Amino acid sequence: MSAPDPVELLLQTARDDASPEEFRVTGVMMQYYVVCKRELWFHSRHVEIDRGNAAVVRGTNVDETAYADKRKHVSIDGTIAIDVLDDGRVMEVKPSSALVEPAKLQLLYYLWYLKHVVGVEKSGVLAHPTERKREDVELGEEESERVENAIRGVYDVVTSDSPPSATEKPVCDSCAYHDFCWSC
Amino acid sequence: MDRNYHIFSDGCLERHNDTVRLVTLDGEKKYLPIEKAEAVYLHGQIDYNTRLVSFLNKHGVALHIFGWNDYYAGSVMPKRGQTSGRTLVEQVRAYDDPGHRVDLARKFVAGSIHNMRSNVSYYNRRGHDFDSILTTLADTRDRLAETTDVAETMGVEATARRAYYSTFDAILPDGFVFDGRRYNPPDNETNSLISFANSLVYANVVSAIRATALDPAVSYLHEPGERRYSLALDIADLFKPLLADRVIFRLLNRNQLTTDDFETDLNSCLLTESGRQTFSKAFEESLEETVEHPRLDRNVSYQYLLRIEAYKLKKHLLTGEAYISFKRWW
Repeated sequence: MSAPDPVELLLQTARDDASPEEFRVTGVMMQYYVVCKRELWFHSRHVEIDRGNAAVVRGTNVDETAYADKRKHVSIDGTIAIDVLDDGRVMEVKPSSALVEPAKLQLLYYLWYLKHVVGVEKSGVLAHPTERKREDVELGEEESERVENAIRGVYDVVTSDSPPSATEKPVCDSCAYHDFCWSC
Repeated sequence: MDRNYHIFSDGCLERHNDTVRLVTLDGEKKYLPIEKAEAVYLHGQIDYNTRLVSFLNKHGVALHIFGWNDYYAGSVMPKRGQTSGRTLVEQVRAYDDPGHRVDLARKFVAGSIHNMRSNVSYYNRRGHDFDSILTTLADTRDRLAETTDVAETMGVEATARRAYYSTFDAILPDGFVFDGRRYNPPDNETNSLISFANSLVYANVVSAIRATALDPAVSYLHEPGERRYSLALDIADLFKPLLADRVIFRLLNRNQLTTDDFETDLNSCLLTESGRQTFSKAFEESLEETVEHPRLDRNVSYQYLLRIEAYKLKKHLLTGEAYISFKRWW
């Protein structure tokens, strides 16, 4: 018997169908998948992050304060947590545009999840309020494929017995797992 | 890094608005900046209620309680933010695998011996003749590689510690004798200080372990204890020479603590309240000292070294990447 397709596993889990194993992907896992696969592995093993980390505090702060009156926080299946604007679009707020690709994939994943699990098609908007920047994000064919490939990639990382080894990257400096990785 | 607060007086610790307030028996009120607190240490007789515990919990602050004779009596720890079954499973697996367990036990002892040796060689350079002790410590370290089980490893540790303690009488000033380690209760000033200092190191390690999802009761060098956090003992041993013994030597040699700071009872000798204050103040200052960390590439406090040690162990257990125990590098 060939290994089940992670995308199929995820959909079965989300629909609460009988499936050979549970497989959930959260928005932040999508982000980590792009930023750092080792971080994703740690996250999947519930390694605590340093909540006092400056970047984490800043991100939480920006998320809690920006557009507070315009967006409504919606949690779906306890798996994804999205913010919906008054006009029905899905918004993802990030403190800076430095890591735009991971944030975009996270948002695309939300749109994909809404389409395939909940059955509604939405558009998205990626916002960097501190920089007064916004970008419209749509889920097309190509984007859907990107999301599905990422789901398969996430599956490979979280089901492996050990994490990818640590490699120094520019983002390491502000990572909440920095001390965990580099305290040898 | 957040700091510890020590309370020696008797009274009541309470939540007052959005802060913590100590009301002593004579009615004096003191406020503790809770945002900057890592843990609160209660040495006196203190009343507190659930409202305080919930408030400390919300701020992630631990409460460590010391009872009669400065014995560590227990902790009220913040509810864990995240628990990790997998971490516990890996921790137990390593314990249950004799080869893995002895390997970790050896690493704890190797680190301890290194750190004891570092203290001895410091005093060896300052007018003492400890060459033979340094040789003994180096020999015990080399014997570690040949140990095949934890009992044997413990034996090597005991030999090293005896050799290490044999230097104390020479290092300590006149008026202070050591004459071997004794506790339950300590019978002289030096033993009493070591007991107090070690219990402070221990409580700080308990806090550090709780910052990870490691279970403090599953240990490798020490037998997992029924009523104590034996993993904290494994890790504390690494740090006692740096955090406890150096502070003891410094305070006694500079006459900041004298025999007047102790009270002798029938068969025990304990620090007075002011003695405990002097010691814990110096101890906290030492926790705040920093050193440049070669891998983290920044200065870290001695207290943070405890956290790092817990991270390193957890990382080893989860990923299989090698654990290298703390060895003073400066």
